[in-house]
Amino acid sequence: MVEAMEFMELSDKYGVSGVPHTTINNGAGTMVGAAPEGHLLTEIQRALKVSAQ
Amino acid sequence: MERLLNDDIVRQVKEAFDEQLQRPVEILFFRQKTGCDYCDDTRHLIEELAAISDKLHVSIYDLDEDKAIASQYHVDKTPALVIAGREDDRIIDYGIRLAGIPSGHEFSSLIQDLILVSGRDSGLSQPTRDFLKNLTEPVHLQVFVTPT
Repeated sequence: MVEAMEFMELSDKYGVSGVPHTTINNGAGTMVGAAPEGHLLTEIQRALKVSAQ
Repeated sequence: MERLLNDDIVRQVKEAFDEQLQRPVEILFFRQKTGCDYCDDTRHLIEELAAISDKLHVSIYDLDEDKAIASQYHVDKTPALVIAGREDDRIIDYGIRLAGIPSGHEFSSLIQDLILVSGRDSGLSQPTRDFLKNLTEPVHLQVFVTPT
């Protein structure tokens, strides 16, 4: 968890506007809004493939 | 200093803790002497919480004075909380970090984190567990939130 208002630089870095905003591996993946387990898993898998390129 | 948690909240939290806390939990709190507006309040909040159950213990560290510990737990900003398991002298790090004061909605997330860690189980589905077991590189999740 990162409190967006206290860490504005970090929020800006990831383009956080709506919360919750989940970043995976420093921006390799992103989910905005609720992140149900299955969806989050899919996005993590996608982000890992992106990082591998 | 005035209490942050009123009687009603303490009662509700105590009920949840009595029913659901299992194994001991260590809350490692990292602060900084300057440039941390919410450090004092965060510290008071977790101390008041820890007073509700003897399964909770707080240890306090300074980002600048306790560099080795901060580095060990990958903490680089304050206020920061590490929610870990504790078995006697051993700390079990589940990689759970909170940066910023857990107020508003995040207060109940904190309560849930404490209960989760005390249960020593993620509660995730088997396919997810299998995927995680086979990870060959770190996955860093950062969830940005606001209190309201």
